[in-house]
Amino acid sequence: MTVSGFIKDRVPGLVIRAVALAVIIIFLAAFAVPFQAILAVTIVFVMAATAFELWEYYRKKKFYNRLVKALEELDKKYLISEMLEAPGFLEGDILVDTLVECDKSMAENVAAYRRQNKEFREYIELWVHEAKLPLASMRLMCRRSPEIENKMAVQLGRIDDYIENVLYYARSENAERDYVIKETSLKKTFGNVAVKNREALQMIDARLETSGLEINVLTDGKWLEFILGQLMANSVKYRSEERPVVINVYAEESGTAATLRFRDNGIGIPAADLPNVFEKSFTGANGRKDSKSTGMGLYIVKNLCDRLGHGISIESEEGVYTEVTLTFNKNDFYTPR
Amino acid sequence: MNKILIIEDDRTLCAELSNLLEKSGYAVECIRDFSNAYMQMEASDADLILLDISLPGENGEALLQKYRKVKETPVIMLTSRTEDMDQVLSMSYGADDYITKPYNPTILLLRISAVLKRTAKTVQTEMYRDIRVSFLKGSLARGGQEQILTKNEMIIFQVLFDRQGEIVSRDDLMTALWDNEEYINDNALSVNISRLRGKLAELGAPDAIETRKKQGYVLK
Repeated sequence: MTVSGFIKDRVPGLVIRAVALAVIIIFLAAFAVPFQAILAVTIVFVMAATAFELWEYYRKKKFYNRLVKALEELDKKYLISEMLEAPGFLEGDILVDTLVECDKSMAENVAAYRRQNKEFREYIELWVHEAKLPLASMRLMCRRSPEIENKMAVQLGRIDDYIENVLYYARSENAERDYVIKETSLKKTFGNVAVKNREALQMIDARLETSGLEINVLTDGKWLEFILGQLMANSVKYRSEERPVVINVYAEESGTAATLRFRDNGIGIPAADLPNVFEKSFTGANGRKDSKSTGMGLYIVKNLCDRLGHGISIESEEGVYTEVTLTFNKNDFYTPR
Repeated sequence: MNKILIIEDDRTLCAELSNLLEKSGYAVECIRDFSNAYMQMEASDADLILLDISLPGENGEALLQKYRKVKETPVIMLTSRTEDMDQVLSMSYGADDYITKPYNPTILLLRISAVLKRTAKTVQTEMYRDIRVSFLKGSLARGGQEQILTKNEMIIFQVLFDRQGEIVSRDDLMTALWDNEEYINDNALSVNISRLRGKLAELGAPDAIETRKKQGYVLK
């Protein structure tokens, strides 16, 4: 609150008082009151008014300056009502009451949304669980006709993949910690992913090469399985028709971290698109060629990696290869978010 | 014949599972009334139990925990839950394996036979005709003659041997290999089978593996 701002705000009151003083002076002069008496009345009047304004200025300045300063310092502005002391004047009281009411109402609103969000997530979890039952039955049924078993398995695998996408999207957007970090064998985790995708890989006659997977990393096995499954699905989807598909997965351990590289010889990603591939709904040039792109896969993968505290980076040369590198920190340096 | 108890509340899935297992030569028992699932579970004389986690009433994890205090029968958890926590819990309660839905039928069968073998503590060597099969050493021997099999050849031989006399599809062999982290392709499978045939021929069984066109292989 500045002095000039305060004065500007008080202009109507000051004008009225100045007019009243002028009228009083004219009256007194008309009744032939001596000049000294008029001067004395004027001085008393002006002094009283000034004293009142000064008092008004100081008590408001104290309250509002504290308010402004507190607001600046807060990073969660909505907590401002918790920071205020009783103002001791009417407008201040009204303001504080209003803020407290607003906060309460907002908190209720937020809580309602949070509950709604939580219920929706729980429903998604339940739904995914339910949707997998008929899928499991169908997977068993298609064994009865061996000639289409593989083709059916690939399609059922795709449905399963889409279902998991929804689940992990819901999980990755949620602030709750619902993962379990433990020593996980890369070999076993990747094995599960490979077996799940065997039919699809075989149908395109892809070669899978692995090395160095005999190490354990600190992660959530199921989440990592989903991440690797997404990378695998991308390698299959964006394969090059010009050469046999080769997917290379190799891991190595250094002093403080373990890295897992997932490399394919597919169509690659244009350099201009590369910085954006982890963004939500980004499909880029490759996505426009393939109508099935949702732009969600790598976004979810990145989100999950962030939450697990794993590093993820991508490298590619258009028409040659794409390589995604996951970095797992060792125990001492492990910092989940 | 081994008997398997299925505890799964989805009727269709339960029926399909029974069908698969019966065709693969197991006797099957299903629980239909879940009001006293635990009583039936404990009373069953099955050699192996397939247990779903989400059941009406008491869930599978709770059943397993109670059951383990009384009996040692192997239990494989089947679940559509995808949380690592469930797996960790189940294993700590004493499950022998954990498979998530939708499962690959071949893998399910492989895991079942692996668990049964592990718990039956079968002898490490078995006889195929007059050839001694040593699973631990990964070798076949007849008289003084011994042939060492590679890991892939051993996996193939074991699958064929477990289902001797039946047609085993190339896909089943592939699944078994991939399940053992051997990611070979179609050509490599053919190469492995012909090598295995060669080794069997050396041991006086050149006709052991018969090819059935478009169906697979039979170990006679």
